[in-house]
Amino acid sequence: MLKVLDFFNYARSKSPWIVHFCSGCCSLEMLAAMGPRYDWERYGYMMTPTPRQADIIFITGLVSKKILPALLRTYEQMPEPRYVVAIGACAYDGGPYNESPSVIKNMTEILPADVFVAGCPPKPEAIVAGLEELKEKIKRGEPSASSQGGLWKQMKF
Amino acid sequence: MERIKEVLNNFDMEYVEDYKPTWVKAKLKNKDDITKVVKALKEVGIRSCSTVSPTDFPEENRMEINYFLEDIVNKKNVWLKVDIDRDLDKCEIDSITPILESADYHELESYSTFGVKFKGHPNLRYFLISRDYYGKFPFRKDFDWEEHEKHLIENVNAIAEEFFEEYEENEKTVGHEDSRTVLHWGPTHPASGPIRLKVYTNGENIEKVEPDIGYVWRALEKLSERKDFIGTIVAVERVCFMDNTNPMICYAQAVEEIAGKEITPFAKYMRVILGELGRTVSHLISMGGFFGTMGLQTFLMWCLDVREYFLDALEDYSGARIATACIEPGGVRYPLNDYKAWFEEINKAIEKWEKTKPDIEDIFLKNPLMTTRAKNKGIFSHEDVIDNYLQGPIARASGVKTDVRIDEPYAAYGELKMDYVTCENGDARDRLEIIYKEINQSIDLIKQAMVKIEEGIEKGEMDPKKDHLVKMPRRMPAGEAVSRVEWARGEMLMHLVTTEKSTNPYRLKIKAPSVNHTRMLEKLIPGHSLSDIPLLYGSMHICQGDLDR
Repeated sequence: MLKVLDFFNYARSKSPWIVHFCSGCCSLEMLAAMGPRYDWERYGYMMTPTPRQADIIFITGLVSKKILPALLRTYEQMPEPRYVVAIGACAYDGGPYNESPSVIKNMTEILPADVFVAGCPPKPEAIVAGLEELKEKIKRGEPSASSQGGLWKQMKF
Repeated sequence: MERIKEVLNNFDMEYVEDYKPTWVKAKLKNKDDITKVVKALKEVGIRSCSTVSPTDFPEENRMEINYFLEDIVNKKNVWLKVDIDRDLDKCEIDSITPILESADYHELESYSTFGVKFKGHPNLRYFLISRDYYGKFPFRKDFDWEEHEKHLIENVNAIAEEFFEEYEENEKTVGHEDSRTVLHWGPTHPASGPIRLKVYTNGENIEKVEPDIGYVWRALEKLSERKDFIGTIVAVERVCFMDNTNPMICYAQAVEEIAGKEITPFAKYMRVILGELGRTVSHLISMGGFFGTMGLQTFLMWCLDVREYFLDALEDYSGARIATACIEPGGVRYPLNDYKAWFEEINKAIEKWEKTKPDIEDIFLKNPLMTTRAKNKGIFSHEDVIDNYLQGPIARASGVKTDVRIDEPYAAYGELKMDYVTCENGDARDRLEIIYKEINQSIDLIKQAMVKIEEGIEKGEMDPKKDHLVKMPRRMPAGEAVSRVEWARGEMLMHLVTTEKSTNPYRLKIKAPSVNHTRMLEKLIPGHSLSDIPLLYGSMHICQGDLDR
């Protein structure tokens, strides 16, 4: 028998909305993924200007120290269940800015991501493929990684 | 030129010499003279300050300040140096902002990163750097950032604390008596990108705007000191991904100047093609983004569609869509093994643009709604452009004839036919139209360069498989160079300093146009209503990547 909650997860996975937040250069490839050639709306993804309607937040590449409070606050405003997708090498370990004093290198420790898309910047195909993987996770009803832990709980924002 | 030298020689100078055809280089002996020199230069037409760049020499206990001043109308540049003491309490110099207001943000930046106090600056404050660096001056050579890194969570909490304090302060200053409020536009606004405008409003009307920047500050100038000369390309190209080829050209030219190498004609033409491809790609986003800020996404989608074809051409050459890393000191990185196939790819993109062009003109550029909305909004006069040193498309939209490609030709631009593209009114609509005109100009330049390369190969003067790169020395001699290119959003200037037998830059100052354009928002937006912010902001074509660096 199909459980009601399963049905919710199924429905949720079909059209995840993504909050409009960019903190780094990978957002240009997100723009391309939105664009006519890759067109992620075919898969049901859509950008929304307010975090209160969103299911997914992107860590678009580098996160500088100054924007981190804004990112966490945006994340905090999203309704549960909320998922995090990290794209670009910077989101993993600072990537090309690894030696820079003003960029956060352990972003996924602070806000654990459910899916990580590699590349600098990742191609739009890769971003869509990553999102498709996340869809499966949402469908299975697994809790998101960021709700399980992460340094963000110790931080002020 | 002679007059400028005459003026400079009236003061106590260590040397006054010619640098490049349009440049005079001089070193001032006494730092107290700086305001007098700048005043005298202003009288002979040097009315804009391009940037202020300190260089730190801890062994010699001095801080060298470089002023890059410019006369936009007559195409004359002055490079003025002066030494000051390095010790923090004695590290000060008179501010030139009261004389040349375009120096404002550049002086603030120098203060925040190097700790140079500018006496007499109207509002000297920390700028660009985040709260955890206040008072630490991270670009000084003796700053220990590894120690700083250890306290990540405290640092981030300090930054958040600053925001809370600011909210409280706003609450106090604004009060509850009337309809005045402080709004924060960005950094999560869909049109803003990572920048925050503090907007002081009274009802619908805007009284004051304060840009708060530094949200994508990556300290690229410091980062490049830790990489070698080839590795710095990675930092430099990430100034902004929208137009990523032109910063690399700028950097490569500076290194070549110090090494004393001349690149091959083939590489020069390749740089023209790659540079113009980068410009087109960037302009297509700017143009679509302008309509995006007005709430119409259709045009953005059209532009993105055309952009993909140009990215295909870049990908075909370099293997990457936007992080191409395809230009390096000594030429361009890859040989053209099958130049016909690559030109075919470019022609495909050009064809796509030509096919879309009539529709863009009919539907969007002549759009009556857009015209009513943007016409006569945010006008910049000739004087505004010169005093605030606006550059690139923004300056040309006001009818100022400035373009580094013509004023100080680099790569192969001197051998191609081109003219200044200008508009007349300098309002928001013209700043859109100029972008459209410039794309057409870029495509014309690409076509010319392709013909030249083809001719060269047929005559046997160029070899696309070998000519792409000149061998560069691994270790550079001591030297200093300034290089300028016309970037998609205006003039980009890089000041590179090297030491003897160095493998990495000693100091690389990157001056990007969006800094002055952001400063202009302070004057542009007040007086308009709230709904005009995205439109006016979009019309300035600001990219936070090059604003913060």
